[in-house]
Amino acid sequence: MLRWVVPLVCVIALAALPLTGDDVLIQYGIDALLFATLAQAWNILGGFTGYVSFGNSSFYGLGTYGTAIAMAQLHWPFGVGLALGALLAVACAVLFGIPILRLRGHYFAIATLGLSATLAAIIANLDISGKNIGLILPLTRADNAFYEEALLLLIAATATVAWIAKSRFGTALLAIREDEDAALVMGINTTRYKIAALALSAFFTSIAGGIHAYWITFVDPAGAFDLTLNVRMVIMAMFGGPGTVFGPLVGAFVLSTVYDVLASSISTAAALLFGLVIVLAVIFMPRGLWDLAGGFRRDGARYFLQNIRAHRL
Amino acid sequence: MLLAQILLNGVLLGGLYGLMALGMALVWGVLNIVNLAHGAFVMLGGYCVYFAFAGLGIDPFAALPIAFVAMFALGYVLQRYALNLIVRSAQLNTLLITFGLDVVLTYLAQLAFTADFRTINPSYAGANVTIFELTLPLLRFAAFIAALIFAALLWVMLQRTRLGRAIRATAQNLTAARLYGVDPARLYALTFGLGVGIAGAAGGLYGMVSQVTPYIGATLTAKSFVITIMGGLENPFGIVLAGIVIGVIEALASIYIGPTFTDVISFGLLVLILILRPARSMRTA
Repeated sequence: MLRWVVPLVCVIALAALPLTGDDVLIQYGIDALLFATLAQAWNILGGFTGYVSFGNSSFYGLGTYGTAIAMAQLHWPFGVGLALGALLAVACAVLFGIPILRLRGHYFAIATLGLSATLAAIIANLDISGKNIGLILPLTRADNAFYEEALLLLIAATATVAWIAKSRFGTALLAIREDEDAALVMGINTTRYKIAALALSAFFTSIAGGIHAYWITFVDPAGAFDLTLNVRMVIMAMFGGPGTVFGPLVGAFVLSTVYDVLASSISTAAALLFGLVIVLAVIFMPRGLWDLAGGFRRDGARYFLQNIRAHRL
Repeated sequence: MLLAQILLNGVLLGGLYGLMALGMALVWGVLNIVNLAHGAFVMLGGYCVYFAFAGLGIDPFAALPIAFVAMFALGYVLQRYALNLIVRSAQLNTLLITFGLDVVLTYLAQLAFTADFRTINPSYAGANVTIFELTLPLLRFAAFIAALIFAALLWVMLQRTRLGRAIRATAQNLTAARLYGVDPARLYALTFGLGVGIAGAAGGLYGMVSQVTPYIGATLTAKSFVITIMGGLENPFGIVLAGIVIGVIEALASIYIGPTFTDVISFGLLVLILILRPARSMRTA
């Protein structure tokens, strides 16, 4: 009962937020919702299979540029732009997923990193994408609409993850995370599952990129393929609890708020404290906030010591 | 002749890249930690040598050992009292904590040293020798030689000393090394310290041939990563060679294809190597 009521109340409260009429709050909300979507999308591959992707910024960039090229260069409507961006991102995920997903561990991580950097450099040299200068999209002032779109996207992504967590698909992904060779021996077509997870991840990431592009009405290669954005997805998902349904959302909302509060009060030291929070979080709660909630109720402050004892040399 | 000059410049810069990547490869190979803060340690080493030179008037090459020792101490403490606490948790956590360290070090450097560009500029910086129409900048050449000397010292240390043997044994099999009396907590700290110390020395050299700002870390980390993968974790000669190859490719690409394409080349090459030669990558993963 409680498992359905709490999310439902949260969704209604979030959907009603534009009624407050607070512009700053809505803009912060769009940002936080998009970040939560990105963290959730990263979670599909990274949290469930343990494959750390730094290539999600390339899907974000393709979604951004798909929308921007469709709207600014071809004068197509927003919806078609989103579809174009998603198509590019999913195609890229499947095409490059086949060779890259054969790599494991750090090697997969760095190959995806290389993919992002390569795509960014190619986009920065194409005429249709406005080279290094970027593209300007038609201006709209409809923050409330963007807010509701971002909320819908987040709900869709979370519903997908909730389905994955309960399905055979999700079990296969978890089996890959625990022991890929064993999963293979058990008859799981690991390659197909990993590619499907990467494609789903790419889909949600690219739509978030498209919404963000139309919202801020400007794209350039450095912003669209920003690696720190990818790092933030990873940190938010990890901080909340990778491989869970709601962990990445909690992580994204908590860190977005922490970062915004720090940035507005002590600007220069904000990034410094952000880094410190990451270091301390990894040491004291390596399985994320979601695990901390249960563990702390069970063991109190000893939870932190147990984590250190379990993972130290 | 232009081509030969570009090749020479690339080789001189590449030797330095090779030394920098050796530090990352040592930590990665022995501790299985991909140190995302590696570039930040290079940056701090650059500041060490800069302040020893500009503040105390010490010759930058004489200041290199100072940078090495200072960064070694920092690395030792960080590994002993922070990283050692999490080395047995998920691999991703070591990536995250070193990323956090990178952020902390970068912004501490910004607060302490400001964002100004610093160049280590000794009196002999402009001197060069011309051989067969090729210009050999002396400072860059000396930095190249110093990088090779550091790399050779590291190799001798790993091959010939007791500590070096313990480090190599740990890389092969931690449990077995433990049975032979290796204290892992101390050894991990020493190894990380060595890797960071090398980063510091490379940073001093980098400050002589380029500029030091608090923000150079990320690109240098990425470069070390590419070089380490190209060279192979267990092969120090391969890494120095890969560093030189990357230096030459960068120099060639920026002249002949245009500076905007250098990233396509170096990262595209990386993806291609990983895709075409996954067998080697998977074995060492």
